Amino acid sequence: MTLDGISRKLEARERLTFDDAVMLFRHPDVVAVGQLANQVRERLHGDRTFFNRNMRIEVTNVCVASCLFCSFAKLAEGAPGAHTMPLEEAWGELESRMDDPPAEIHIVNGLHPGLPFSYYEDLLAGFKRIKPDVHMKCFTAVEIHFFATHYGMTYSQVLARLRAAGLDSLPGGGAEIFHPDVRGRIAHDKATAEEYLEVHRVAHRLGMRTNSTMLYGHIETFEHRADHLLRLRALQDETGGLQAFIPLAFHPDGNGMRNLPAPTAMDALRTVAVSRLVLDNVPHIKAYWVSMTPEVAQIALRFGADDLDGTIVHETIYRAAGSRSPAALTVDELVRLVQEAGRLPIERDTFYRVVREYERAAVAEGALKVRDRKAKKHLQVAS
Amino acid sequence: MGKLVSALVDRAIESAGLGDLLTARRRDARLPDDLAARLASADLLALGALADCVRQEEVGDEVRVYTGEAPVEDASALIVISAGEGEPTGLDLLRRVAVARVLGPRGVSVRVDWAGCGLELAQITLGFGANELSGRIANKRGLPLAPGELAGVGKKSRRELADLVKRKELAGYVRRAFIDALGVAEITDERALAQESA
Repeated sequence: MTLDGISRKLEARERLTFDDAVMLFRHPDVVAVGQLANQVRERLHGDRTFFNRNMRIEVTNVCVASCLFCSFAKLAEGAPGAHTMPLEEAWGELESRMDDPPAEIHIVNGLHPGLPFSYYEDLLAGFKRIKPDVHMKCFTAVEIHFFATHYGMTYSQVLARLRAAGLDSLPGGGAEIFHPDVRGRIAHDKATAEEYLEVHRVAHRLGMRTNSTMLYGHIETFEHRADHLLRLRALQDETGGLQAFIPLAFHPDGNGMRNLPAPTAMDALRTVAVSRLVLDNVPHIKAYWVSMTPEVAQIALRFGADDLDGTIVHETIYRAAGSRSPAALTVDELVRLVQEAGRLPIERDTFYRVVREYERAAVAEGALKVRDRKAKKHLQVAS
Repeated sequence: MGKLVSALVDRAIESAGLGDLLTARRRDARLPDDLAARLASADLLALGALADCVRQEEVGDEVRVYTGEAPVEDASALIVISAGEGEPTGLDLLRRVAVARVLGPRGVSVRVDWAGCGLELAQITLGFGANELSGRIANKRGLPLAPGELAGVGKKSRRELADLVKRKELAGYVRRAFIDALGVAEITDERALAQESA
């Protein structure tokens, strides 16, 4: 199959196969692959490009899993750098931002063996007490699986209790690479691919929406990436509950794979593009700026991505692994990134409902207009 | 269009209204008067595809990477793009590189200095017509290394730079990377680099 063949398939709305996906990952002309992905992206969303006001909190980095790629987790409570937030400290993160509150709180943690399940219920309930309409996107499928095995419940029971306490949706982390040849080497002591997918399946049956991810750029092959995408596509055919797919670039600092180089920007763009082309049933592809830097994420908006994630604030997992991205972006910065890419910025809620549509700006003119406005603002402040 | 361009890329260049440029360039014919305006507003990926095609036909797949003082053997055959200062976005940088390739003299080297834009963006310019990269090796925080620190950089960073070129996979195979930093021997191909790393 050639790129022209893929193009014809896409025009005919035919599905791409495993071999097609591998070919796209291997194809030397990344820009041409990006063009195909951009066509699909524009067919689905036009110029609309999404982001939200969110806030990341990692309440504990104590973890029983020993994933090779992780620079965040400390294996035991009391280990140097290990930290578990008292509930008041976690809630304080939101209270301190109530002058410009986030619409969504995104919580991901280590798998802490010593906390009671009520800690997580109280955590959620406390955030809802402070801001009843905040969306709680919390706990990866890996965490839900851990809760089920550790506290002796089914996935349904765990999710039902957490929902009763305030959980609204699940984030996509923990997928890593599904293929057992890779997963067995980099993440052997946490939820398997089947368990990860089953948690999402159960959540979707309960009416919840979830995201999914893929950690790329370490020891996996392009075949493993294609396998990963096809497993997600199959789940989505079955449930329709995935909202967004987020390719996550491996960062090597301070973890068990520190001798590997980080994936490059070209690989990031290629992975975004192929994801857009293969995951024909997943509505949104995110260019997660924390993982790929805001600059490359902006370019990814022309390679198939339609979402930049959000303002973030307090992300520590990627920063522990050496990410040089800033800790947070303001709404103004996100809007500017989108406008200067010639796209239309849309602030969304977690379910992609429009909160606010911003001004459109043409590529060159728009950039100048935004800079001009910024310069005027500075002048006003100065005077 | 030429055999190097797939029908898909050919269509993209045509539909962006840039089809006549490649033909004119191949024939060394006069370029259209409205060219600059067309390039400023053309679809970026189509422009990139055009620039990449010109790059492949005129200078081939070799990428040179300079980590020290980059040579200027013939100023008329070199366009240096120092990204960052005054560049509002990475997208503008890509367009600037592509335009330099399309409008520049035949066979010119388009060199991107990564000091302002970072290695990530610099790598992407290799798909938009650039064929040389230059800049200082930096530490993890992006700060340039002092001359005294360079001795400690050694093979690993040079290896990473070669990987950067290799991973672009523009032609599906490794191209030669000339790395002239640190006062060590010039590395002319991947095999030599591998031997040195070993």
